[in-house]
Order: sequence, then structure tokens, then C-alpha cells
Amino acid sequence: MTDYETFVRALLPRLLRYATMLTGEREQAADLVQDALVKVYRRWSRISEAEYPDRYVVRMVTNGYLSWRHSRAARLIAAGDPPDEMGPDDFASDHALREDMWQRLARLPRRQRAVVVLRYYEQLTDAEIADLLGCAQATVRAHAHRALTTLRDGLTTEHLAQAKEN
Amino acid sequence: MEIEKLIKDTFSAHEHDAPDGDVVFAATQQRIHRRRVVSSRPLAIAAGVVALTLAAVAVVALNRSGSTPGDDAQVAVGSTIKAPAGPAIPELSMPFALDWLPDGSAKYVVRRINIGGTAENPDKPVYGGEYTLSVTADGQVLDIDVAELRMMSVDEAAFKSGPGSPVTVDGKRGVESSKSDGPDGYELYVEHPEEGSMYVKVGSGIGSTVPTQQLVEAGRKIAEHITFPGKATVAPLFGLRDLPSGMRICAFEVDEGSAALDAKGGREPNTSYELGSCSTAPPVVVGTNNTNPPKGKPGRPVQGHKTRYVDERGYRTLWVLDAVGSAPVVLAGRVPPSELYDVADHLVLPD
Repeated sequence: MTDYETFVRALLPRLLRYATMLTGEREQAADLVQDALVKVYRRWSRISEAEYPDRYVVRMVTNGYLSWRHSRAARLIAAGDPPDEMGPDDFASDHALREDMWQRLARLPRRQRAVVVLRYYEQLTDAEIADLLGCAQATVRAHAHRALTTLRDGLTTEHLAQAKEN
Repeated sequence: MEIEKLIKDTFSAHEHDAPDGDVVFAATQQRIHRRRVVSSRPLAIAAGVVALTLAAVAVVALNRSGSTPGDDAQVAVGSTIKAPAGPAIPELSMPFALDWLPDGSAKYVVRRINIGGTAENPDKPVYGGEYTLSVTADGQVLDIDVAELRMMSVDEAAFKSGPGSPVTVDGKRGVESSKSDGPDGYELYVEHPEEGSMYVKVGSGIGSTVPTQQLVEAGRKIAEHITFPGKATVAPLFGLRDLPSGMRICAFEVDEGSAALDAKGGREPNTSYELGSCSTAPPVVVGTNNTNPPKGKPGRPVQGHKTRYVDERGYRTLWVLDAVGSAPVVLAGRVPPSELYDVADHLVLPD
């Protein structure tokens, strides 16, 4: 087994979960990770010498996702109407609450979604996110603020309380 | 703080949606190691000659600005890039044409996406057409991206390559930026004749180092020679006809593949469509698939082709085997299986 293969096999589950959170769609996540891994192979001699090659690859996946702004993934964020304001009765279960949030996440602009995923799924600090995205921490905070404002829109206090209790 | 918990819970709940690692790894290995045996359909391009007009003089493409890809897909007629397809496969219209490209041979991906709009203006298409090309000449590769951004004005331009500076291109207001190293190269946003902007990016391909000035000159010249609506059409690997009621083509993508660029990597030719009402996220994706092996149980034959069918927690996939040469056409979405079969029955496959 080559170094490349060992590296990729170890990192792949995390990459695929991360790409799924970014794209919200299994096939696109697979495409995104495949594209990145082919590039990693081509540049392996250089990447393998990096101090943190895994971060390098996560950055490649992130950049791949962000560069889709003109293409495939762009279709998904552009689509769909925002949900109507929902009453507490509309949420029959935790599942419905999370599915509603999943749909809200799908409508976020890509950079905002990336920040949300890196913050709340990858658990990175704003400084780490800024480094990964190549922007200022203030920009990260601005994206996060806007994203949270959008995600909260239409969610009632009861829903949030429900989320807190669960 | 509560919403943050809800977000985390939502992500955790969707971890099981992640693709299978072994399948993705196998597909990646295939792309890396398998030397492509595909019919290369290079697009010869000469200086000063209509480059990716894609269409010859005989094209009679209906190219209404603002219409949906589905409308055009049903009626466009033309003679363009040769694909291994019979005449029954309807060609697809692009909303604009590129009348100039740098010297060299081009490999392309073209897309047309007209889904929905913003919450404020749901009828206004957010994305239009896009060409992604690699032009190779004298061992150097130029990566070119030209896209309609109808939702973004020049004033809202955002660059990956650095701060922008004002420029006038063919009498139209624009903003440009360039970076001599890295893949972002030269970027330009210039006013769209109707609304929003056109985005042009020219960068050095992998392993190539093209001088910045050359990138800038190429980018500006490409922008000067964009024509609307143009008569560019492309020939997909397969088509669709008489779709079930309420279903239209919301987006399409035609990829010529890039086998000749790099024997170790590259892409197979590919055609895909997204189908639905086009007012919400298209529920059905249809496309050729050269990378992932078919999975699932045998299903009902479609147009004389064997099929495989799999249901993964409500996400259903139908594989129509050997539909385009040896490649399958895959239909997938969170829809009833009958809907997938209904669409499959309306595929227009090559002879």
C-alpha cells in the first residue's frame, strides 16, 4: 500500500462526511472528494511533505466546493422557496426540526455554509477557519452572523426551546 | 445558543448520508490509473476564427434569453460538436457564444442552469450559462471559465485573485484582477447586456506557467467577443423527450472529457440533466456515469437495456446499463421508483 493510499484511506471517511455537510448531497460530495483526491495524487510529492497534509486536503475540498459557485452546486442553493413561518405544531418530531434546519442550511450562500460547517461540524476556531478560507477572522464572524440570522428567520422561540431541551 | 445546538444535531443526523468510502476510493483509483480509452472529440480552434461558437452556420437554435433549458432542449436544432449520438438526440442551446478563444485545441464543459431565483425575485434566473474550457497550445494549458452571473452586478464583484480595478471592455464597464501565480490568474466581471454581469477567468492549467500579461490579454479579448444570444448549441451524449407532466429540464451539463490532457487523470465525457418543476430544487438527476460501478438489484428493463435499482433510505437510484456505449445512464432522486422509470422510458439514447 502506497503512502498516498494509506493517507487517503485514513482521511477519506472524514472528508466524505465533511463534503456531505458542505454540499448536502451524497453524489456531489463524492464528486467533490474524488476531484480533490485526484489532485492530491498529482501533487502528492509536495503535499506529503507538508506539515499537516490533512489540512491541505481539507482546504482543497473546501476550495473545490467554493469554486462551484458558478456550476453544479450552485443549482442547489439557488433553488427552492424559503419555508413558511412554521408553528410549533408543524414539528411532529426532532427529525422534522432537523430536516427543516437541513433545508435552511441548503439555502445559505456557499461561503456562509462553509463557515457554519467548519464552525459547528468541524469544530474549528474562527482563527482556524480564517486561515483555511484565506480571509480575516472578522470576515468569518460576519459570515457566521449572517448565516445564523438567516437560519433563525422563521424559527420561533418554541422551536429553539425544543431544540434546547432535546 | 440553542440554534447552534440544533445546527450541530442536524449535521450529526446527516452523517449517514456520506458516500461509501470504498466506492469513492475505488472510483478515484480508476480515474488516477486507468488510461482513458475514449473517443477524443477535439475542437479545433484557429486564431481569429469563431472558436467555441460550437455552432456552424447551419444552426437554427432557439436561444431565447430567459427561457429555460428545458424549453430549448425540446426544440434546438443544430450541427455542432460531434457526439456519438444519433440525429434523434436533441441538441441543447446555450444562452451566449464565445466568438474568440486563444489558439489551440479546446476541451470543454458547458452548462446551462436556469433554476429558480432568489426569495425576493423567484422568477429571475440566478444562474445562466457557463463554459469551462482547457485550451492547449505549445504544451501550455489555459484554464478558461466564462459564466453568466445574472444575480451579481459588477459592483458586487468578488475576486479570489486580489483587489479589483475598474476597466472598460468593448464599451462596457467592468472590474478586473490578476494574480501572476496560482490557479486564479486573471478574473474579470463585465456588465451583462441585460442584467448582472459576465465573469471571465483565465488561468494557467496544472503544470503550465503562462505570463500574466498573456492571461490578461486573453481574458479581455474573450470578453470582447461574447455574443448574445449567440447560436451555440452542444450535442449531449443522450437526450430526453416528452417528459412526464410537470417535469422540465432545469439544468444540463455537457462535458467533453479531458482524457488527452493528462493520461493519469482526466474525465470521461459526460452528460447530465436535472429535472423537476424548476421552481424548487430539481428532484431528479439524470446523467451518464463512468466512475461509480452500478449497484443494487436488477430492475425492470428500460428500452431493451438491463437496469439496476437501489433504494437507500428513500434516495432511489436507477441504473440503465450500457445506455451510452458501455456507460450507464443513472437516474436518482428522492422520488417514487415509478417516476424514475417514467423518465427512463423517455430517454433518447444513441443507436
